[in-house]
Amino acid sequence: MDNLIDRHKSEKLYVQLFDILKKKIEDGDWPVTSQIPTEEEICRTYEVSKATVRLSVLELVRQGYLTRQQGKGTFVCKRIIPEGLMMSTSFRELMLEAGVNFSTKLLAKTVTMPIDDIDVKLGVPEDRHIIYIRRLRLLDNEPILLQESYIPHHLCPSLLHDDVEDNSLFDLFEKKYGMKITRIVDFIEIAHVTAAEGQVLGLPEGAVAMLLEQHFYAGDTQVMYMRSVKRPERFRFYIEMERK
Amino acid sequence: MSTSKVAKDLMIDVFEFPHIPYWFSIRQAIGIIKKSLLTKEKCLQPMAVLVFDEKYNLVGTVSMKDILRGLEPRFLKPTTKAQGHVADEAGLSVLWDTLFNKESKEMAEKPISDVMTPAKFFVLPDDPITKAAYLMVHNELALLPVLENNKKFVGLVRMIEVFDELSNNILEGRG
Repeated sequence: MDNLIDRHKSEKLYVQLFDILKKKIEDGDWPVTSQIPTEEEICRTYEVSKATVRLSVLELVRQGYLTRQQGKGTFVCKRIIPEGLMMSTSFRELMLEAGVNFSTKLLAKTVTMPIDDIDVKLGVPEDRHIIYIRRLRLLDNEPILLQESYIPHHLCPSLLHDDVEDNSLFDLFEKKYGMKITRIVDFIEIAHVTAAEGQVLGLPEGAVAMLLEQHFYAGDTQVMYMRSVKRPERFRFYIEMERK
Repeated sequence: MSTSKVAKDLMIDVFEFPHIPYWFSIRQAIGIIKKSLLTKEKCLQPMAVLVFDEKYNLVGTVSMKDILRGLEPRFLKPTTKAQGHVADEAGLSVLWDTLFNKESKEMAEKPISDVMTPAKFFVLPDDPITKAAYLMVHNELALLPVLENNKKFVGLVRMIEVFDELSNNILEGRG
């Protein structure tokens, strides 16, 4: 049977469990937005350890199949998973930080611990300090984009004292901290704004907006996770890809 | 004999303690306490989370006691100290038990700023330790921020080190 763990296989247990759980999501056994069983229940069903369940679930979170909400549980995402189209993209143009003449209003620059699934999205342990930057981008004084950035504090502690209204984080990483960005992974989806996001962007709660999640890497280290919520209008994406 | 040590000699790094912004809910803070304080092999004392504003200024600290107090149903909170009516205060806690799932879960959505201990008292790096001890004793604090130029948060002084230092003076003075 393909929905059980095979202990004679050479494949690691958590990889097998990952495939089983992924199939449950893809087949709709675990419907979109539903809460998945607890760690203990999954342990019992598949007769594996808690550590195995945890690894598999975290990987599903990292790949965008599941989302964790602190104190509430783990849920199946509404998202469509991009299937391995890998091309070299001139990502500078994709970056919302550069190019357009935004004005920027700094709403917050502080330090926090990761909540929900921020630790997984940023690839840091759950007790790691994180610099949190929340900025509002305006175009002709109209709020257009709400951008939240999460950066592991230990990578660049003095970022807390840098001007991030007039400087792009990208430039600060490369020029000041010597962290050359070598890879960016983007997830783009249509989402509904929360009450708090709506208030800042001038949209009612639940209104449709564009959600862009970006993971920035310098080599193997993820240096930033950025979540941008954009008003749906006045935007056109430019993506250029080149076959290598 | 007075001690010659000052606050900066005893202070510990702020990053020893978990940080959160004031708008996090009590529920989110509980999650952080569990992950950052209750699972660590080395036990950090006092168990506290530092609360900051949007500009990374310290605005308060949160202990487990602050959180439990915040989760208490409203009617259990003593209104005024009624004279001659102190018998069996804990008896009311039976009611908390029955209400815990309903009202306390609602309370857990409140922002942490509602239940934190505001950071009202602090010492400067060159302040004597006795000043830290005085502030701790008179305001029931186990942790005191150290501010540079009355503004920049540079460290924390704990009761543990203050006690250790002052008590050494007492013991040395005996001979």
